[in-house]
Amino acid sequence: MNLEDELRSALRRKEPSPEFTERVLARAYGAPVRRAPRPWARWVAAMAASVLLAAGAIGYREYRGERARSQVLLALRIAGGKLNKAQKKVQMLNAAHRSNS
Amino acid sequence: MKTAGFLVAFSMFAGLAAAQQVKWNYDKLAARASDSVDIDLDGSLLRLAAKFLSNDDPDQAKARKMVEGLKGIYVKTFEFKNPGEYSPADVDALRAQLRPGDWQRIVGVHSKEEGEDVDVYIKSEAKGIGGLAIIAAEPKELTLVNIVGPIDLDSLSELGGHFNIPELDVEKKKK
Repeated sequence: MNLEDELRSALRRKEPSPEFTERVLARAYGAPVRRAPRPWARWVAAMAASVLLAAGAIGYREYRGERARSQVLLALRIAGGKLNKAQKKVQMLNAAHRSNS
Repeated sequence: MKTAGFLVAFSMFAGLAAAQQVKWNYDKLAARASDSVDIDLDGSLLRLAAKFLSNDDPDQAKARKMVEGLKGIYVKTFEFKNPGEYSPADVDALRAQLRPGDWQRIVGVHSKEEGEDVDVYIKSEAKGIGGLAIIAAEPKELTLVNIVGPIDLDSLSELGGHFNIPELDVEKKKK
């Protein structure tokens, strides 16, 4: 066989097998496709962020309120206690004065 | 124009509230104290605290009623490891910071036996008491209290008798 016959044999037209088309189509549909973001997805993300922010703000307000509440009670306890002590001393002195006179 | 008027009125009101607040100078004491309690509650924090005070608890309900009209509560307590770490001159310096024109001493209790001094000052206003200051000196503790705004001393003393502090039966005059 000469060179010309060898080339002709190697380059002759061949019909693809029936599975070939299926394989190509399967790969084409299976490949990841980049889609444009859906418009409602942005709204959902924005709403989720707003809900998180609001929850954080409410939580912080609760924390500050509880802290302020306990500080008020402590402050009134200290102030009232000192005032009470002064009144007690005055009352004791008055009682002593009355018993002497 | 209305806004400017409001701002002027607001700044005058804020200035008035600030004038009732005692700006204690206690740097020397703070340096010597081993522990301290510092409570600074301005008007906005008091309003917030009032919302969190329960109406179901009688003491908290009383505290809420008392706090609603106040513009500030400031408490400073210094604790010392040993007696004598602050001098009577230090306490006198604190007393001197309450100007006689503004503040009137209504109670001054000095106990040599227990080494305790309690001075109670009020700031009188046309409508009644506009502020309260207390200087309480014990051998190992010094407490400064300043309450800005109209305060009912009986209610405050009553609250002092609660919160795990023994209550005192103060004689009340019948009207």
